[in-house]
Amino acid sequence: MYDLKKPEHDVDQAKTKISARGVQVFYGDTQAIKDVNVEIADKTVTSFIGPSGCGKSTFLRCINRMNDTIDICRVEGEITIDGHDIYAPDVDPVQLRAKVGMVFQKPNPFPKSIYDNVAYGPRIHGMTRNKAELDEVVETALRGAGLWNEVKDRLDTPGTGLSGGQQQRLCIARAVATQPEVLLMDEPCSALDPIATALIEDLIDDLKQQFSVVIVTHSMQQAARISQKTAFFHLGNLVEYGDTDTIFTNPRDERTENYITGRTG
Amino acid sequence: MTDATSDKFDWAAPAFQATLRKRKRSQLWLKSLGLGAILIAFAMLFLLVGSLISTGYHAFTQTHLRIDVVLDADLIDADAPERGNYRQILTNTMQAQFPDVADDRAALRRLTSILSNGAQFTLRDMVVADPGLIGQTVTVTVPVSDPYDQLAKGLIDSDTPEENRRLKDDEIANFNRLAEAGMVSKPLNWGLITNADSRFPELAGLKGAIIGSAYALLICFLLSFPVGIGAAIYLEEFAPKNRVSDLIEININNLAAVPSVVFGLLGLAVFIGWFGMPRSVPFVGGLTLALMTLPTIIIATRAALKAVPPSIREAALGVGASRQQVVFGHVLPLAMPGILTGTIIGLAQALGETAPLLLIGMNAFITSAPATPFDSATALPTQIFIWADSPERGFVSRTSAAILVLLTFLIAMNAIAIYLRQKFERKW
Repeated sequence: MYDLKKPEHDVDQAKTKISARGVQVFYGDTQAIKDVNVEIADKTVTSFIGPSGCGKSTFLRCINRMNDTIDICRVEGEITIDGHDIYAPDVDPVQLRAKVGMVFQKPNPFPKSIYDNVAYGPRIHGMTRNKAELDEVVETALRGAGLWNEVKDRLDTPGTGLSGGQQQRLCIARAVATQPEVLLMDEPCSALDPIATALIEDLIDDLKQQFSVVIVTHSMQQAARISQKTAFFHLGNLVEYGDTDTIFTNPRDERTENYITGRTG
Repeated sequence: MTDATSDKFDWAAPAFQATLRKRKRSQLWLKSLGLGAILIAFAMLFLLVGSLISTGYHAFTQTHLRIDVVLDADLIDADAPERGNYRQILTNTMQAQFPDVADDRAALRRLTSILSNGAQFTLRDMVVADPGLIGQTVTVTVPVSDPYDQLAKGLIDSDTPEENRRLKDDEIANFNRLAEAGMVSKPLNWGLITNADSRFPELAGLKGAIIGSAYALLICFLLSFPVGIGAAIYLEEFAPKNRVSDLIEININNLAAVPSVVFGLLGLAVFIGWFGMPRSVPFVGGLTLALMTLPTIIIATRAALKAVPPSIREAALGVGASRQQVVFGHVLPLAMPGILTGTIIGLAQALGETAPLLLIGMNAFITSAPATPFDSATALPTQIFIWADSPERGFVSRTSAAILVLLTFLIAMNAIAIYLRQKFERKW
């Protein structure tokens, strides 16, 4: 039913990168996330699956504090990255977001040149000292996103002129350029065709060599193909979390089983 | 369960066809009503512009008289040429043209009144600039006075009984003699924009009003543009959403609807009353107009900021940009076309605003153009107001001409706004 042939699974050896304990999220009076506890491993792809509105995107956005930008949103509980509480008062969310990159559902390149799109992060954080270094960072990031060969001759053309799949890889390059430790992806392939999706999935597999990737997806095939760990969310609860193989072949919870076999969702 | 096939909807049934026809009819009605409304609007616009042009075009030419003037050394003191008796010189000139006219003061005065009252000053300025002219004969082209200008433009009907006419038969005959002698010309009236206001229509121009309006708009722009954008950015991007910001928002929207005469009273009380600023100056006019333009700019800017897609903000926040970097690096540049459009439309509104300027005294009679924003001046709309109030016939066409000038400026500003919007509009 699902393609479960995955190359290597050294999940148990990977150390914990992100740890969430008792996380609850409220939008005004509505509770979106109810008591989520999860440990996300380093250098692993972790996918969040679940029906629409189950809170998986909300939880993802807690990890880089994007929810801070929503006035009525309130986060309780503790989320740590490498043991440091990211909601501690001395943590600057702006700096955190450079370390925890994010790729969004709809490709959203800035209406600037391809070069400026990738260079934006390094520039605002002052990560390079001169133009040559910046050029190198841009090239590395674009190579890392598998886009370099397609755009190297037209770096000064607008990023919005690329195709949807290229735009999304540009967004990945932009996120990678700030050398993040974690990459969050919120349904990165939902607006793309199957070929572009396959490219991005290959890319995600490469990226996990460098950092922990957390991906929200509605495609269970995709979760099965690319992730080592899977978390199933339902109505704001984290129902089940474990190795992707186990979740898809032998789920413990009935709700998980119903969802992955297509009976609910 | 009922039998589904027998319940099948009959698309050909007469009842359904009737509703279909009704639907089509109402659609047609709506369309023709809309079309009718647009036609009426166009007709009104055509009527307005047509009536302005039909009365205003007379003011775009001015009748001039070319005369040979003897600058009699007896009448001009070479040491003080500015105090020469140029009036007498002109009288002598006209008398030389009409040797048959009786040599009495009243008849001569009527002859001289063919010339504009400004002619003597034109001569004086010539002589002051070049005193060597004294004693020589010069050929000058000077405007004729308003009644003769009207006559030359065919606005005085000779069928009117003489006692009801401004020019009597002999005056018309005199002027016709000049015309037959080829001394009368009707060149384009540059004086309309190069002269300042005057009591005499043939000399009155819009220079003071145009410069006054330009200064007032400049002050208005310098004040309302940065303040308006700043306020809009704060309210839209940084202000916490609570009761206070709601209250501020409602009040800004209300301010945009406050009648402009109220802003004029405010300007009068605050700028002139409290701060003791001078009356009738474009600086105060600009400040008052800025008060009025601010809400427009704030509302337009907020709308433009809101129209920037949230995905751009998220993208920038996602790579670790601060709130301020997001706004100034991404949102504001993308919103700029909208902001500029709103600002220009706000300024165009300010350009046409009359009531607040009346209250701060910018409808004064000022015969020179302002050199700085702190000199007394009029503005275009108030100049129109003054001219519309003037009894001289010549001001009728000048009022229309001034309105056309104002409309030209407004159309130009709106055209710039449209151009900017087209040029910088982005598609996502």
